[in-house]
Amino acid sequence: MEIRTETHGAKQGTPAPTPATDSIVLTLVGSGGDGVALLGDLLLRMAAKQGLYGMMVQSYGPQIRGGESAAIVRLAREEIQYEGDATDLLLCFRLSDLARFRGAVRLHDRALTVLESADSGDLPDWLGSSEREPFRFPFAAFENGQEVPGEPKNMLALGLLCRALGWSRDLAAEGLEQRFGNRPALLAKDLAAFYRGYATEGMPALPPLGGHGRPLLVESGNEAVARGAIDAGIRFFAGYPITPSSEIMETLIEELPPRGGRVVQAEDEIASLGMVVGASFGGVPAMTATSGPGLSLMTEMMGLSSMAEIPSVIVDCQRAGPATGMPSRTEQSDLFHAIYGGHGDFPRVVLGVFDVVHARDLMHRAVHVAEAFQLPVLVLSDAYIAQRRQIRDQLTPQEQAPKRRTWTEMDGPARFSLTAHHGVSPFRVPGTPGGTYLAAGIEHTQDGNPSADGTVHQDMNEKRFRKLAAIAVETRQWFRTLGREDAPRGLIAWGSQFGILREWVRLHPEYRVFLPEVLHPFPVAALEAWRRGLEWTAVVELSFQGQLRRLLAGLTDMSQVRGAARSGGLPMSLHELAHLLEEAKA
Amino acid sequence: MKPKDYRTELEPVWCARCGDFGVLKGLTQALSDLEVPPEKLGVISGIGCSSRLPGYLRAYSFNSIHGRALPIASGLKLSRPELTVVVVGGDGDGFSIGLGHIPHAIRRNVDLTYLVLDNGIYGLTKGQASPTTSVELKQSLGLAGGEERPLNPVFLVLSSGCGFVARAHAGNLPQLREVVREAIRYPGFAFVQILAACATYQPQTYADDLYGRCDPLPAEHDPTDFARACELAVADRFPLGVIYRRPPDQAPAMAGALRWGEAGIWPAPGAGDTTVQPQD
Ligand SMILES: Cc1ncc(C[n+]2csc(CCOP(=O)(O)OP(=O)(O)O)c2C)c(N)n1
Ligand code: SF4
Ligand SMILES: [Mg+2]
Repeated sequence: MEIRTETHGAKQGTPAPTPATDSIVLTLVGSGGDGVALLGDLLLRMAAKQGLYGMMVQSYGPQIRGGESAAIVRLAREEIQYEGDATDLLLCFRLSDLARFRGAVRLHDRALTVLESADSGDLPDWLGSSEREPFRFPFAAFENGQEVPGEPKNMLALGLLCRALGWSRDLAAEGLEQRFGNRPALLAKDLAAFYRGYATEGMPALPPLGGHGRPLLVESGNEAVARGAIDAGIRFFAGYPITPSSEIMETLIEELPPRGGRVVQAEDEIASLGMVVGASFGGVPAMTATSGPGLSLMTEMMGLSSMAEIPSVIVDCQRAGPATGMPSRTEQSDLFHAIYGGHGDFPRVVLGVFDVVHARDLMHRAVHVAEAFQLPVLVLSDAYIAQRRQIRDQLTPQEQAPKRRTWTEMDGPARFSLTAHHGVSPFRVPGTPGGTYLAAGIEHTQDGNPSADGTVHQDMNEKRFRKLAAIAVETRQWFRTLGREDAPRGLIAWGSQFGILREWVRLHPEYRVFLPEVLHPFPVAALEAWRRGLEWTAVVELSFQGQLRRLLAGLTDMSQVRGAARSGGLPMSLHELAHLLEEAKA
Repeated sequence: MKPKDYRTELEPVWCARCGDFGVLKGLTQALSDLEVPPEKLGVISGIGCSSRLPGYLRAYSFNSIHGRALPIASGLKLSRPELTVVVVGGDGDGFSIGLGHIPHAIRRNVDLTYLVLDNGIYGLTKGQASPTTSVELKQSLGLAGGEERPLNPVFLVLSSGCGFVARAHAGNLPQLREVVREAIRYPGFAFVQILAACATYQPQTYADDLYGRCDPLPAEHDPTDFARACELAVADRFPLGVIYRRPPDQAPAMAGALRWGEAGIWPAPGAGDTTVQPQD
């Protein structure tokens, strides 16, 4: 079987730090109803259309719906996975809404602020200060001192911003038509406001930023997971709604049935993975998606999937835990659970997603490993990746989907044959005459008969874990390195830290970075080769306990390696990373 | 195929005189009557003495984990609608740990046949009280939960909207055979409570009392009469037979076949083989 492995040697030796004008960060703050998320999304789509890269993240106040919200959009000439430390432009419809985003928004010293004319207050000190005077615009309409519904504020702002960005009026209008063409009344109203915003004089221009002209794709992390799964051959999905993973199911509800598959909203996560195991027992590639609380409920079923040797793919969009934790905030603290969770010894595979682009690719590999080796594969994403929208290159054709090894009569009688090559015994698909057998969570002989014999248990464990050994060989190149090969300082990290670390090594060429794509079985040999000659090393992660560092301590010598970790919440910024590394050095 | 042709060589681990033997027999008879090909049969169970049953059947069988047979069976049937899928389990497996799944399987109306082998006790774990153990028995045996009232499985599934509800007794083979046959034929979720005594952890008086309280359904019973079915469900006696049978929906929910073959993941059943070849 052919499997893509990425040796990322070519990515080493990154170019010099990019000049600041190569990207621009826009922060849009408003209340529910102001439509800042739509504004951000439209800007992102318009950027993608002209071949600009970028991404958008959203931040909410404490309530999930209806409260203050902020959209941070960063646009750049090349692919980015990090929204930047400081904002070049802050647009705020109501100054009082800003308070909720303390710590999440910081002004660049040359930042432009766009405020409501009626808001006479000062910007809070924590924002940082800009040398430039705010530009004020009457977004809101008032009667007798009360705000009343007027023109759509977000469309006025869209006009202002498109002009400031130097984007053509027609290109932007076309974007609006595409989005609202099916609702002519709304479109007319939006276009009118957009044109008025665009025609406004006096708004200072932003540094020019042009794309390469070829249209690009906009996709969220959750969409990428769903679409990657479909392309990889998943045809059955069962799940239970949970932030921040729900859009995976929502995307699949729309896109899986036309491809011949089925989506079921289950009564809970136990049933979700149960249905997946049932469908997969039936021979149909199946997966579920959840977040930490759901993963906890799935734990017993994960063991069943491994014990009964039935493939399953489980996506976990991590959020800050434990228990309910902080549902919309990101964290990297499900690593232990993914690798160690569950009773008994059982093989499973754990993969970690870097960004939206990587999500599609990794889903292919996840389905491949699950199907080819008949065990559960966990894919760890997180809220930061799941909820972001990212601009990416057009899709490249993915490789032919992998194959599950299925039974033919020549294979002989044993469904769980102890002598199977690499421990992978032929799967029997219901419907195949002569192939009936008993699958079981009870320990069983190679013929599938229940057994309470300690030697059978030992032999079967050996058989099942031989698969993990084979997977370790196959996935030994599943990692990525960043920076110069001979850089004296090393950072080890995983998952969504990829985005900021890519930028970190550009700004700090004395660092190199190691990022595993497979966390279990961990590519230890690659890590050891990479770390040769390092003078100083730290593990960067969003986990209070430092789960990755502790994991590695069981695999290799970590006595000289420092931790640069904290609990989840907001993603790490470059500014903060510098601080954490300073502390780690002390 | 004859009933015995549906049996594997495995010898049941059940105690002598266990009620589950009768269920195994009645089920193989019903399968033989319906001529279900073993390769088109999926039998899914949870954990318990009763859940051992799939291992004794020639079928694509799955002895899974405690309380989770219904979701697994639902996944199988929803992805492979052409299979006949039977779910087997105990009263603890179904009405205690697995209870949360029952109303949802019913709501979905997945075309499953759910046989609960109700012996009013946890057999496998050696005689603790189950949700169907009577107050008197719990108190006389000194079991936990002596103050807790048992639940009524038939009334429970009726109130959840189950389209086919029946009761059988493991000691009455002809009736068991017929009821199970009808349940499998019913296009939609079908529930059968099978009264089966545990020979080891229930006193003989339990089995006698159970048998003594069983009646055939009144000859004039109209199984489409929901109100009457509910009355029978809460009566002190145990009428045996099809208590409720709603005219089946045109098509059971989500009955359409998936196009999983097109995914190209693996060849159609039996058509080929691909080997795993890790690079080493
Ligand atoms: C999660 C979990 N909890 C507890 C058990 C232990 N256990 C196994 S079977 C069983 C109850 C069996 O009773 P029932 O379902 O009525 O089946 P019976 O043995 O009576 O046929 C219990 C509690 C288990 N296997 N898994
Ligand atoms: S313990 Fe009871 S239910 Fe279990 S096998 Fe023995 S008689 Fe049957
Ligand atoms: Mg029981």
